[in-house]
Amino acid sequence: MPAPPEVITFLIRRLIATAFLLVVVSMITFAIFFLVPRLAGQSTYQLAVQYVGRNPQPAAVRQLEVKLGFNLPLPVQYWHFLSGIVVGAHYNDGPNKTYCPPPCFGYSFRNQQPVWPQMISDVPVTASLAAGAAVLWLIGGVSIGVLSALRRGSIFDRFSMGVALAGVSLPIFFTGLIALELFSYKWPIFPNVQFVPLTQNPYLWARNLVLPWVTLAFLYAALYARLTRAGMLETMSEDYIRTARAKGLKERTVIVKHGLRAALTPILTIFGMDLGLLLGGAVLTEVTFSLHGLGLFTIEAIGNADLPEIMGVVMLAAFFIVIANMIVDILYAVVDPRVRTG
Amino acid sequence: MKRRRTAGLAAVSAVAALALAACGSSGSSSGPKTAPVTYNEATTQVVNPSNQKGGTLTFGLSNTPDSTDPGNTYYAFMWNTVRLYGMSLTTYKSCPGKCGTQVVPMLATSLGQVSDNGLIWTYHIQPNVKFEDGTTVTSQDVKYAVERTYARSVLPNGPSYFQVLLKDPTYPGPYTDRSKNEFGLTSVTTPNPTTIEFHLQHPFADFDYVVAIPQTVPVPPNKDTGANYQLHPISTGPFMFQSYTLNKQFTLVRNPYWNAATDPQVKQLPDKIVFNLNLNANDIDNRLLAGDLDVDQAGTGVQTAARAKILSSPTLKQNADDALSGFLWFAYLNTKVAPLNNVACRRAIEYAANKQTLQTAYGGPLVGGDIATTVMPPTIIGYQSFDLYKSLTEPNGDVTDAKAQLKLCGHPNGFSTNIAYRSDRPKEVLAAQALQQALSQVGIKANLQGYLSGKYYTNFAGSTAFVHSHDLGIDFGGWGADWPDGYGFLDEISNGNAIVTSGGNTNIEELNDPVVNADFAKAANLLNASQRNAIWTQIDHQIMSDAAILPIVYSKALLYRSPNLTNVYVHDYYGMYNYAVLGVKQ
Repeated sequence: MPAPPEVITFLIRRLIATAFLLVVVSMITFAIFFLVPRLAGQSTYQLAVQYVGRNPQPAAVRQLEVKLGFNLPLPVQYWHFLSGIVVGAHYNDGPNKTYCPPPCFGYSFRNQQPVWPQMISDVPVTASLAAGAAVLWLIGGVSIGVLSALRRGSIFDRFSMGVALAGVSLPIFFTGLIALELFSYKWPIFPNVQFVPLTQNPYLWARNLVLPWVTLAFLYAALYARLTRAGMLETMSEDYIRTARAKGLKERTVIVKHGLRAALTPILTIFGMDLGLLLGGAVLTEVTFSLHGLGLFTIEAIGNADLPEIMGVVMLAAFFIVIANMIVDILYAVVDPRVRTG
Repeated sequence: MKRRRTAGLAAVSAVAALALAACGSSGSSSGPKTAPVTYNEATTQVVNPSNQKGGTLTFGLSNTPDSTDPGNTYYAFMWNTVRLYGMSLTTYKSCPGKCGTQVVPMLATSLGQVSDNGLIWTYHIQPNVKFEDGTTVTSQDVKYAVERTYARSVLPNGPSYFQVLLKDPTYPGPYTDRSKNEFGLTSVTTPNPTTIEFHLQHPFADFDYVVAIPQTVPVPPNKDTGANYQLHPISTGPFMFQSYTLNKQFTLVRNPYWNAATDPQVKQLPDKIVFNLNLNANDIDNRLLAGDLDVDQAGTGVQTAARAKILSSPTLKQNADDALSGFLWFAYLNTKVAPLNNVACRRAIEYAANKQTLQTAYGGPLVGGDIATTVMPPTIIGYQSFDLYKSLTEPNGDVTDAKAQLKLCGHPNGFSTNIAYRSDRPKEVLAAQALQQALSQVGIKANLQGYLSGKYYTNFAGSTAFVHSHDLGIDFGGWGADWPDGYGFLDEISNGNAIVTSGGNTNIEELNDPVVNADFAKAANLLNASQRNAIWTQIDHQIMSDAAILPIVYSKALLYRSPNLTNVYVHDYYGMYNYAVLGVKQ
């Protein structure tokens, strides 16, 4: 069945808004990293001198200044950045010119490599981590939240909310290290945690990600359990729930179809944001478990003051967040009948 | 030579890691049982000597190499690593103790022969060394390797000694030059396929050390891929690249064309060597202790949490070595920023500094290092112990002499200055605070100015304009030698010629002492090593007399020696285990 015209219009409008938003993000990011240093009095020579090793010869600094385009006016540099994303760019790597196909996010000063291929090779790691953890925390968090709400005041409710409080309070670099210490170093149930691509070995992929998944999911599940519980408590006291029960519907139908469905709307909103953010890099989890995802890529880029890499990862993270939110908007209509009718 | 230290990432998990140290299995098994070994054993002798072949040797690194291209790296651990896949003209002898600072031929048949006027250095290379593809290495390949280091826009990371020392410093590099069918670097000539000559602008007696830098590892011109060469440098060593995923992992396997007879300083023992990059620093330590990793490639010692585990467990401690790294932690005392432009004011700081609290700030005597009294560390050829400012006899500071110097400098009640330090390095923060506290005892008010380490040497302490405009009289820093003699250690931090005003300055104290400068010039002409070494001692003495540097500690690192390793010992030049000879137990 073809999609109704209003849906297509909605999607087109959202896509245009998404593109506009990404351009604005790129302008702000570019200004922060390239304009602000200039306004603060930093010369293009000083920018270049960071990337020429120790005690550099002035001629070498000038060479690099030209190669990295620091000598060009800022609007021209920004235009090169934008056009690279759309049509790609050529970079001088010595004997040859390397073509960086679109979307090309610039050239890393430190690694002497185009940014995009490096960045994109890290996406499967972060995506694997985020997707697995998201499944765990969504199932775990929502289930516990619902059960707690339905058994309000019970021992289960108190215990699970206590654990949830601990989950929210404990930072990942603590729970992660505890998990590693116990299950990797002391009792090597999950030894030598490192990323293995799903396509290469599905078993090792899953086994090596169990600890990071559980650690990451523990934090989020706790948050989701509390949110779901609060949402369910509010929803279950609504008039239409009482009406549904009065009509003689089964309790299970009342809870799942009428209660949970409405309570899920805010959960979905925050889930979209969280997943988008995580896809942009689960920094602490990746650092703790030495997983080479976008989070670790970001940390390294910041540590090396590699401006194009930082720009690239900011753009990619913004893209994930915007897309995730767009999908959430669409899912609203599926989950909540009030959105469909409204 | 740079030594990367883990600060940022390690700091994130340090608190939790410390907590975990307590619940760690201090007495747990740390690998297969072997003949009894002792703490510090590998600092003086070979532990687990063996020529057994096979197995996989696994390294871990908490960050990434600056480059795996021999022509584009300046990190100590990479210079150590490069010997596994590249033969430079000369290298350092593979042996424990002082012997490791001895320069010996590698690709060359002997050390260099210098012309009577000291301007031409000639090396004959071994005729039967092959690349990993079976082609024979010629002197042209070595010349090309040197040529490409001039292309700084493509290979920016390595040192620039060739540009400074050789005759045509403006050579643009082969990528520009050869495309115009030019003839290459004229200051390097190759009369025949096994002879290479370097033509210098001025005599330079340390040239054998310069060609030990990996920049002379031969590169076949038709295989050079410029910036991408780091992904697969063509090997002349015992191992060659099998794969490299940038910034994640690279793997070396045996080079079938390597001949042990041509390369006695290295061994070809493991079947495979895997380098895992960008791991969490604490994770590396834990994997080392668990036996999942064999070596921490950075070679700068374990983190705080693992240190606590190792030192509290006799089983683990027997597999540890507290090694001198050849590195000095110190503070530059700027000779151009008032009132420190008066030597007496600088001497007041030398006397007033509390060396004990400074040592504690860097980790104490065991892992921080020994209190330093000279600029050159003990592992440097030419080092002689002396103590001008009573650092050892009065380690808490000599207030009386400090006040006497303050009178001489015209500020009997003290003065104000600023201390620059790297705010993202916890030890340096503590050291700056300790110095500030000690100086306040004699009326010197020192304000702390922290800067991020990423731009410390380019935009802040390394920029003379910034130092002057911000009155940074005292600037914390650290230094390791490019080669283990006085020139290699002292030149860039104390020769007046090394002052760079446009950023990236390493003579941060801006010492331009004619006596020191003349001594450097004199030593450059002296081919007699013992005469040269006497001059390094004189220079060291003169710098300390000028009070241009406040030495703090001769850095030490607590290294964990995996019981799985064979042929393991601390190499004095690299200040870490000698990676070129390691094997693994089967």
